[in-house]
Amino acid sequence: MIITKQKDIEEIYEMIKPYSKILVAGCDGCCQPPRSINEAKLLAQMLELKSRSEGKELQWKAITVLRQCDDRIAATTLRPFIEEYDAIVSLACGLGVGMLNRIFPSILTFPAQDSMFGGAENNGENYFVEYCETCGECLLGVTGGICPMAGCAKNLSNGPCGGQVEGKCEVGGYIHECAWVKIWERLKKFNRLDLFTIYRPPRNYHLWSSPRFMHIYEPISNEPEQKKEEKI
Amino acid sequence: MEKIGSVLVVGGGIAGIQASMDLADSGYKVYLVESTMSIGGVMSQLDKTFPTNDCSICILAPKLVAAGRHENITLLINTNLEKIDGNPGNFTVELKQNSLLLDQEKCTGCGVCAQECPVEAIDFFNEGLSNRAAISVKFPQAVPLVFSIDKELCIGCGFCKGVCKAKAIDYTLEDKFTTLNVGAIVLALGFDEYDPSLTQQYGYSKYLNVVTSIEFERVLSASGPHSGLILRPSDGIIPKKVAFLQCVGSRDKKHGAEYCSSVCCMYTAKEAVIAKEHMEIINPTIFSMDVRAVGKDFDKYIERAQNEYGIRYIRSRISDIKELPETRDLVLHYENEEGKVVSEVYNLVVLAVGALPNRSTAELAKKLNIELNEYNFCQTKPFSPVETSREGIFVCGMISEPKDIPETVVEASAAAGAVNLLLSDVRNTLVTEKELPKEIDISGEPPRIGVFICHCGINIGGVVDVPEVVEYASKLPDVIYAERNLYTCSADTQTNIKERIKEHNLNRVIVASCTPRTHESLFQATIREAGLNKYLFDLANIRDQCSWVHMHEPDQATEKAKDLVRMSIARARKLVPLQEQQIEVIPKGMIIGGGVAGMTAALNLANQGFEVFLVEKSEKLGGFSHNIYQTLENHDVQEFLKDLINKVNNHKLINVFLNARINSIGGYVCNFTTKISFGEDKQQKEFQHGIIIVATGAHEYQPKIGEFLFAKDDRVVLQSDLEKILFTEENKINDLKSIVMIQCVGSRNDENPYCSRMCCSEAIKNALKAKEINPNLNITVLYRDIRTYGFKEKYYNLAREKGVIFLRFKDEKPPEIKLEKGNLNVYIHKPDIGNIKLNADLVALSAGIVADGTANENLAKMLKVPTNDDKFFLEAHVKLRPSDFATDGIFLCGTARGTATIRESIAQAMSAASRATTILSKDIYITEGIISKVDPALCIGCNRCAEVCSYGAVGVKFEDGLMISEVNPLLCKGCGDCAAECPAEAITMSHFGRIQIEPMITEAAKTTDTDGQPRIVAFLCNWCSYAGADLAGVSRYQYPPNIRTIRVMCSGGIPKSFILQAFLEGADGVFVGGCHLGDCHYIAGNQDTLRRTNEIGKIIGSLGINPERFMRKWVSASEGKIFAETITKFTEKLKKLGPIENDYKKEEVLITK
Repeated sequence: MIITKQKDIEEIYEMIKPYSKILVAGCDGCCQPPRSINEAKLLAQMLELKSRSEGKELQWKAITVLRQCDDRIAATTLRPFIEEYDAIVSLACGLGVGMLNRIFPSILTFPAQDSMFGGAENNGENYFVEYCETCGECLLGVTGGICPMAGCAKNLSNGPCGGQVEGKCEVGGYIHECAWVKIWERLKKFNRLDLFTIYRPPRNYHLWSSPRFMHIYEPISNEPEQKKEEKI
Repeated sequence: MEKIGSVLVVGGGIAGIQASMDLADSGYKVYLVESTMSIGGVMSQLDKTFPTNDCSICILAPKLVAAGRHENITLLINTNLEKIDGNPGNFTVELKQNSLLLDQEKCTGCGVCAQECPVEAIDFFNEGLSNRAAISVKFPQAVPLVFSIDKELCIGCGFCKGVCKAKAIDYTLEDKFTTLNVGAIVLALGFDEYDPSLTQQYGYSKYLNVVTSIEFERVLSASGPHSGLILRPSDGIIPKKVAFLQCVGSRDKKHGAEYCSSVCCMYTAKEAVIAKEHMEIINPTIFSMDVRAVGKDFDKYIERAQNEYGIRYIRSRISDIKELPETRDLVLHYENEEGKVVSEVYNLVVLAVGALPNRSTAELAKKLNIELNEYNFCQTKPFSPVETSREGIFVCGMISEPKDIPETVVEASAAAGAVNLLLSDVRNTLVTEKELPKEIDISGEPPRIGVFICHCGINIGGVVDVPEVVEYASKLPDVIYAERNLYTCSADTQTNIKERIKEHNLNRVIVASCTPRTHESLFQATIREAGLNKYLFDLANIRDQCSWVHMHEPDQATEKAKDLVRMSIARARKLVPLQEQQIEVIPKGMIIGGGVAGMTAALNLANQGFEVFLVEKSEKLGGFSHNIYQTLENHDVQEFLKDLINKVNNHKLINVFLNARINSIGGYVCNFTTKISFGEDKQQKEFQHGIIIVATGAHEYQPKIGEFLFAKDDRVVLQSDLEKILFTEENKINDLKSIVMIQCVGSRNDENPYCSRMCCSEAIKNALKAKEINPNLNITVLYRDIRTYGFKEKYYNLAREKGVIFLRFKDEKPPEIKLEKGNLNVYIHKPDIGNIKLNADLVALSAGIVADGTANENLAKMLKVPTNDDKFFLEAHVKLRPSDFATDGIFLCGTARGTATIRESIAQAMSAASRATTILSKDIYITEGIISKVDPALCIGCNRCAEVCSYGAVGVKFEDGLMISEVNPLLCKGCGDCAAECPAEAITMSHFGRIQIEPMITEAAKTTDTDGQPRIVAFLCNWCSYAGADLAGVSRYQYPPNIRTIRVMCSGGIPKSFILQAFLEGADGVFVGGCHLGDCHYIAGNQDTLRRTNEIGKIIGSLGINPERFMRKWVSASEGKIFAETITKFTEKLKKLGPIENDYKKEEVLITK
């Protein structure tokens, strides 16, 4: 799930100030906390009040999309309304904002949220933790399932460093747990300290640098083989 | 002789009400006889209740209304029992109703007569602290709301008769005699307070500034004589130093009574805490002998009183009080713990008066031929605390022993349980069900609204221009018909409404009159009789919240009445018919735990003909009671237990499963499915049942090894071990010279911060038995407080008479045991004497009772019910629902709920069985009509709804990979919290949802008058704030007429968008009122209100709107004055801020700048 935080209303207002008719789009996807129709309506109401207090009138429509990061779903849901509005405010993560800007080139979509990280829920208590930084080269197999990229402040492949005291990390003032101490404890529990002592070569940061894109399948061509060769 | 399916309940206090409700719900006709003018009893006089500080009238008033409305309960006020004849199952009783001098049927409770009455008489409800008229109602929330004339004060001027538009007053009415046939009688007479003026000891009635605790309770109450201000009687000054004296008239053979009144320690602590809460400058001091905080979470309350509120406790019994004549302050002398005599001056002294038997108990006992005990309380059977000496007559509450409200409620249900056993064959023979016409299908029809506007005599008509409102309403869209009535609630108007519905094909009906809290059900019944669904009705409150509170601004009151009617019409357009859910009941029960409580409950249900599955985890029935040989009162426990086990084993409707484990519990009320494995060979069994009773019990605390040399020296034993020796190996005692008992082992410490309730009695019981065997034995009991509450005090006295020595140790200095030269020596420190060394041949540790933490928690998870911090199960409401869980169909009893003696466990078991019977006795169980609904197509599966729901009624489940989101209509109570929380608006709250409320907000925010008054849109919760606003009306507290109220069921059902919408529609201020935190009718809905309104407070500031335009306030049902004051202040603030347009910049202004 993508963990997001709503921006200050002033910031959102500054973005939409030049426009008088806006479409506020929630997202029913994986965004946490959920930003569906209720939140969209609330944000629209807030923007209307804010506009009034700044001396202008604002018209709006609140709507929600099943998943804004899916171009077909987003396009189908929003296309009928695009013409009538001057701008879109999206309550999705950055993926959704990017997507709406791509599929509706004629209109600007503004983010209402700051996207924080990809998080997994813990304890069912609305407490989310980043277990993965999508680094492109998974180490979890040799670290007892605990990610040093997401868990270690220094992104060390071979830890711990000298900055841990009693399992706490010096970065942030000995509050966060040292991922490498946890890795050691976990591997020890399963009697797999052999994994701990192996040398892990430096990481390929190329895999971890923007821009990133990927075809999940090889592109399939329906054209006959020869023609393809001709093209080349 | 033929049995009769009706019951007479005598006494309309909380005990009588609870017993009546349970019986009426179980299929009996109930006659509830009350000697005063209204039901409610002493509880209606209380300000708050311990240990939760719940507002007393807030939690009681819904019960009063429910009892008053119940079709199987007939209330007989001002009535006494005269004569009785007959046998169990068929009694003939004669009742006498003293004349009210007015016709109860005609009186509408409007109160004009009381205002006109020239004679000021004393108000007994406020304990003589304020005045009332000779014609009066007992208290504003009284049920039934009927006025009566005090014959002694009435001067016969006839003013009231002249002003009564309902023509109810009739001086010629005479006393009425009625004869009834009933199957059983439940007595719930309650108690009387000790009158301290009988002895001149504390100068009560001589010194003005000495008051009793119940007088002080009224002073504390927001609806009391000073509206919650604490002022002393002599000069009306705030008393800075207040002394509370405990045990006035209790534990005192000379003055009052020998026994302990059980409740005074706690209510005194509560009064001190509330006094401190009301006024910070008050410094309360409590003088007490022992602090008897024996109930669930009571000790924590006392601890908070001391540590958080700084209330001083002094261990001393004050012997006399002297008044200083100049200041009228009072001087108290006491001996402190170091043995020095100290004198202190106090501004006010409150006497914690004890409980005496009700003054009519003795007389009634004679008439009924039932036995009383030595203290003139009703004698009950040792192992059946609600049975009197005469079969068919049962008792509950204070009539048999002083006790607190939860125990009273438990006994009330237990008495109903006992009646069930006697009358179950004739259940449902006398209850009536009205035949109703088929409901008219209105789907697809446009709204056709009929509006009926009430003059309420002159109550509304005297202020509001009713014809003008009718004229206005008739012109609104969709209004087909509008008329006005002198009293819309009168019987002839009901017929008229029905005729108009038929004549004009109305499909929505609005009445603009008093409050929906008292009259909605009446009008709903009327339109239902005309064939309309009862949810197609709305009531506009133009009396309690309009004409009564804006008496001096008739024009604006008329404008407001128009607005309220318009709002109501806007809502009515969107009302839809709702159906209550009906489900077939499986008439079987599962009981978890085969101890005394579980077995008693099982027998009670089985004897009524319900099949029972009794699941016990150990290899035998009986539980902890196998270790108890005798009760403190010398009744043989083992014999009783053997008999009980036999009865259970031989009952053909009870299936006992020993060595059983529960694997899963599925389903809901009326239809549970449970899978268990049982027996040594782990057989599997699955069964279905309608209810569950949790009676899992608890066990004795096992001291750690070495704690007081336990398990290190075999002369250190537990109290239960000593009991075994006393009853099975007497001769061992003869060899001993001294026994030392140490109390509170494993209780009232950091690990188990509660009192185990029975260890003091246990120690005294064993001490008495040991003395009986060996009179020369030296017995010393080392204690912190001796908590022999109620009649157990007698045995404490007896033990001291027999020479048992009691030595108190301080909480922070527990005794020490040392092994010296093979001798056991116990050392204890007394501040006034110094260190004491006691030689002991045997040390008995009074170990407390602890809950089985993991087992209870596992079961709690399976049942989705809560446990408290001490791992005991947590009931739905500690005061008024002690035997129920918040989840319907699950009940609890015995030590699963908290520590209890055998007698108390039996009462609780009977009570749980009786509560269960209210479900099992029905073929079809009908649930709330106002519930939430999910549209699965919109659900995004976030499960926020499940997090806010206190009843486990809503949530997202995954079955075979499919997401199922649903509201269980059987569990939903209709607070709307989930609908307000749902991010996808997939949940709709019916009747009070967005679709109904949003149009109301639009109408409420719209200003039609141009008087420059700021417009306030207020959202009030039905149970506390709306009731508080009504009370402001009843008490005629005036406030500005610029507020438009919208009633919601719970403040937790108000989404943030409502508040923003109100501002967008033009409101100058928005007000949200809810129950005080902890008082929520829906357990914790207002916690969500708190969270949402805090967010709104932050948001609107950032939107450029002054945050002061939004206000949230907790208003209880007794805080009418506070409501009026709050609205007045809020209006003034808004006037200063000006209209909301002031917060908006004008474009022109921007340009010129």
